[in-house]
Amino acid sequence: MTLDSPTRINPMIRHRASHIGRAVPRREDRSPLMGRQRYIADLKLPGMLEVAFVRSPEAHARIVSIDTAPALGLPGVHAVFTGADLADVDLFPHKILYIQPVRQPALAVDRVRYVGSPYAAVVATDRYVAEDAATLVAAHTEFEPLPTVADLDQALAENAPRLYDDWPDNYLVNFPAEKPEVTQAFEEADHTFSDTYVSQRQTGLPLECRGVLADVHDGYFTVWSSTQSPHIVRTTIAEMTGIPEPRLRVIAPAMGGGFGTKTHIYPEDVVVTWIAGKLGRPVRWLEDRFENLVSAVHARDQRHDVDVAYDDDGTIRAIRCKAICDVGSGEIFMPGTAPVFVTGGCLTGGYDFPNMEVHHFCVVTNKTPSGAYRGFGVPEGMFVMERIIDRVARLTGTDRVEIRRRMILQEDQMPYVMHGGGRVDSGSHAKGFERATEMIGESLERARARYADDPDVRVGVGYTNYVEPTTPTYHLTTGFWAGGDSATLRVDPDGSARVGLGTTALGQGTETTAAQLAADALGLDPDDVTVVMGDTDRAPYGLGAWGSRSAIVMSGSILMAADRLLTKARDIAAHLLEAAAEDVVLSDGSFHVSGSEAPTVSWSQVATSAWVRTLDLPQGMEPGLEMSGYFEPPDLEHLPDMSGKVNAAASWSNGAHAGVVSVRISTGEIKIEDYVVVHDCGTMINPMIIDGQVHGGVAQGIAGAMYEHFQYDPETARPLFASFMEYLYPTCSEVPAMTVEHFETPSPEQPLGVKGCGEGGTIGPAAVVAGAVDDALADLGVEIKATPVTPSAIREAIREATAGGGER
Amino acid sequence: MKPAPFDYYRPATVEDALAALGTSETAKVLAGGQSLIPAMNFRLSQPDLLVDIGGVEGFDRMEVGPSGVMIGASVTQSRVMASDEVANAVPGLRRALHHVAHLQIRNRGTICGSIAHADPAAELPALAIACGATLFLQGPAGERTVDAGDFFLGPFWTDLGEGEIITGVHFPSEPADTVTFLDELAWRSGDFAITGLAGALATRGGSVSGARMVSFGVSGAPGRMTGAEQAVLGFSAGDDGSAVYGAAYEDGADAVDDVHATAEYRREALGALAVRSVRAALSTNGNGTGV
Amino acid sequence: MMGANPGSREVDVSATVNGTQVTHRVPARLLLSDFIRDVVGLTGTHVGCEHGYCGACTVIVDGDAIRSCSTLAVQADGRTIRTVEDLATDGDLTPMQQAFHENHAMQCGFCTAGFLMTLESVDPDDYREAEQVVDLLSGNLCRCTGYQNIVNAVCSVWEVERN
Repeated sequence: MTLDSPTRINPMIRHRASHIGRAVPRREDRSPLMGRQRYIADLKLPGMLEVAFVRSPEAHARIVSIDTAPALGLPGVHAVFTGADLADVDLFPHKILYIQPVRQPALAVDRVRYVGSPYAAVVATDRYVAEDAATLVAAHTEFEPLPTVADLDQALAENAPRLYDDWPDNYLVNFPAEKPEVTQAFEEADHTFSDTYVSQRQTGLPLECRGVLADVHDGYFTVWSSTQSPHIVRTTIAEMTGIPEPRLRVIAPAMGGGFGTKTHIYPEDVVVTWIAGKLGRPVRWLEDRFENLVSAVHARDQRHDVDVAYDDDGTIRAIRCKAICDVGSGEIFMPGTAPVFVTGGCLTGGYDFPNMEVHHFCVVTNKTPSGAYRGFGVPEGMFVMERIIDRVARLTGTDRVEIRRRMILQEDQMPYVMHGGGRVDSGSHAKGFERATEMIGESLERARARYADDPDVRVGVGYTNYVEPTTPTYHLTTGFWAGGDSATLRVDPDGSARVGLGTTALGQGTETTAAQLAADALGLDPDDVTVVMGDTDRAPYGLGAWGSRSAIVMSGSILMAADRLLTKARDIAAHLLEAAAEDVVLSDGSFHVSGSEAPTVSWSQVATSAWVRTLDLPQGMEPGLEMSGYFEPPDLEHLPDMSGKVNAAASWSNGAHAGVVSVRISTGEIKIEDYVVVHDCGTMINPMIIDGQVHGGVAQGIAGAMYEHFQYDPETARPLFASFMEYLYPTCSEVPAMTVEHFETPSPEQPLGVKGCGEGGTIGPAAVVAGAVDDALADLGVEIKATPVTPSAIREAIREATAGGGER
Repeated sequence: MKPAPFDYYRPATVEDALAALGTSETAKVLAGGQSLIPAMNFRLSQPDLLVDIGGVEGFDRMEVGPSGVMIGASVTQSRVMASDEVANAVPGLRRALHHVAHLQIRNRGTICGSIAHADPAAELPALAIACGATLFLQGPAGERTVDAGDFFLGPFWTDLGEGEIITGVHFPSEPADTVTFLDELAWRSGDFAITGLAGALATRGGSVSGARMVSFGVSGAPGRMTGAEQAVLGFSAGDDGSAVYGAAYEDGADAVDDVHATAEYRREALGALAVRSVRAALSTNGNGTGV
Repeated sequence: MMGANPGSREVDVSATVNGTQVTHRVPARLLLSDFIRDVVGLTGTHVGCEHGYCGACTVIVDGDAIRSCSTLAVQADGRTIRTVEDLATDGDLTPMQQAFHENHAMQCGFCTAGFLMTLESVDPDDYREAEQVVDLLSGNLCRCTGYQNIVNAVCSVWEVERN
């Protein structure tokens, strides 16, 4: 940590072609286009065996016995391990002290708490045989079923079955709150209402499932894992297995997406590594889609019981919200407790609304553990806030745009401290909303004209104004790590640079943007920059890619390392030029004395002196031309203050979404006619990539708003899904064309003014779609209170609102 | 998700196929495999013998004659969809196939395979009933024909006997006064129907003179909508449709709840689909355009 | 009584893969996707769901785009298979590959091969409207791009106006 970490390109770089801000085409594309990318499933080692996990078919049960003999007797089966065999592996760590300890073993030993929980691992010559053997192990496992808990109501009922015998109840987190000013507002307000809003259970669902390949020789482990955080995987495996960290190399190969699901440290990471050590040969596990649906973390699944105090003129005086997250069995590291706090902290979105009281709860049930998914709690909160605003508008007869205009954050309020302590440093909230409103107004007219002759179709518009916390602290999520990240820059004798980064790539174009940053920071061309990430032996320690953090942490750490490198390079160049260091500048990739074009010294000459012809170095200078920067984002807080407030994100991007939907009353069919995004993530490094992030985020938001839903049998807590036939991942036909515009309000506090853009797209659609459906069906009195908004749900809402079914 | 082990056999004649099927109680016929192989990958289906009929002589025939279209057991959905001759004789086939999955599935999936699989939410079984198609079966006891209307008994359950296979299906030519249609609601493009309706409507003088209407995706099997078929008689463009809606809603009395929609939704949707598809059929009858 | 089962657990598969004749004896249950990836060694074809939904494993068999996860290797016996590795010639991208690059129609790249093979298999003349392009692309799932830029890329190459 340095207080003087640079926030802009070093001024000694004079003339340069700036690469930041340009739509530089991606260097990542060529390999996948040609089928030459290497994902985890494409890696094979000589003598490699395949692992299949045996997973619980029971939602809640004691494991009475496991007979592995029949599976071991199958030709091609090398080993079968159960939880008991992993006695030398520590339990998953417990590091967040204000939550109940779960302390799950890597393989369930005597009890399973969700369908999909791994309790044995089979090792065989290939995956086909491994699955044959896994089937046999499953057939020879005796379970004693226990009473199940399938949802929040069941979990919180009196005398509910408990998942953890030593807990007093099923609360993993129980954080009540009370604010006197909120209580007072409720006493003074003209009116109040209470309501409940629900965001359903979903998951990030990368198209590539997870996978782990582990190899060992001479006590030195190499683990390839499809993870967003290879360094954290390494630290955690080391902690649980006792393998010294320097003897454990974790590599995240090319990844087919992650979206938060691959931030967690999974049992399979640990078990596959352990098996490689046990058998002394390479072993690989590739998750299949069924396993992915039941055992990679789920997300969202929140219920919000709200009380709202408001006045006749549409002023919302105060909101009290019980935010309850169903975190499934809780058996995951890091635990799924953080998103609900983010929901609470970001619930007020882009609005000036301090009078908010949020009670946070996490409850365990017999379902797949929940955790991270793009948006990380923010979409759930935004859904609640916009639903409340729309309802107050309707109850008071206030225009829905006008009521938002009154509340939206203004530029002169910056920096604005939100009710939970989030410190919005800058933004374009008000003008973004105006622009989105203007754009969607035209869409609305077009849609109305389109359906003017069809009395069965209604058209409506919905809005949201959100903030996107970026580069958050990891301390509140993990109880351990903080929020910084690192870069190592080296210039090689040929004059080209190598950047090692602690963040990782999972499809979001980090290699390209890092090269743009490093090129500008060193006065080079991006083609002269090589980027290395996702390998604990080749890249410096870092926390990985999540929380829309890469833009800020890369900018900060690259600038720091570049400054240090430039200082040294200038000293060398000055020596070679026989000039004073303070007179030397860098133009178009060459060092020279300020004001005179010649002579020049190239990066190659400087680096050659530093590494090779060290005799050319100034007297007493240490050779080498490699520098690191470890960047801690300024103003990022890791622990709440005495009042519970914390600025848990380094910066806050903002956006306004608006959408027009058409709804067919007779069938509830819903179509997004148009969708607009006005987005502001501060300084843009690569606008093309940012647009891509917005498009993909909105598509996932629409998936949550209208399609994807993990449902469980309330009687048995068994999943009612096994495939993409039940979990409706949208296709090209379901995702509308969208229009994206940008404002660019640089962060005054973060390096280069960047903010981050990975998650904003997901935040808006649930709020927008629900608002638009309500608007379309306003004369029927329909109010949407839960996602996904399916045709069946719309018909049900119409039926309820009209006591029978409305028009046919 | 890999299939359990099985033996594989690819006969050249229908006799050899039948003989092979007779050697095992869990043997399955493999045609396009677009339902069977995914089910085997999930190990929901674990046949010990797979009889691949892709090479059986004569199963690839697709003949258009004055009486209609004869489609052999290994003819793919794409091949049927691509044929203008078929589309002229039985326009409903191409219309229905637009709703069946996606290009890649139709390139392997067969018409007969879909009928034999009898997914209650699949389009082709319902279309076969609506068109009055005839199924040609062959088994240990010889050959027989079954009307499509008598073939579907329940979810994934048909009149096919032990060791019996569908060798072909005959779709009669669409009469001049009739339009065949298929409409459905699915949350995603290419999905099985949440609620679907296939029908054939005869008109005279601008109103409906005869109807065959079949629901699918609503209950355990595609089924004739006897109430709606009555209610629609005499229907013309100006009618408000409430009688058709009400009758179709009642026809959906055995609708099921699932993760996608409630039973009540399916009944309402069936009512709405009935009205809109009958209206659309009336307005397009005679010009051969899609519904 | 039942006669002897005429089937076999292992089968010979001979196919032309990207112009090269290959012959392997493999288990009858081997999926075509695994045959291509693990036996032939062409890993550009990806496996995303193994139940025929996501389209990542799309390859071209005798000219038709198919799901290789829902096809047995033995069903490709005697046939001609094309995979993504067959598209670029001597490292020169096809116009469609180039358009995917220029339009940022890919992020993680895992779905890309499936999209490219679907597109390679059809006649662009059958897809003159943006709606038809969207319908065609609906057989392949992408989680990253929101499809917007994929549609743009295809429309640019096929000269279809996007409304």
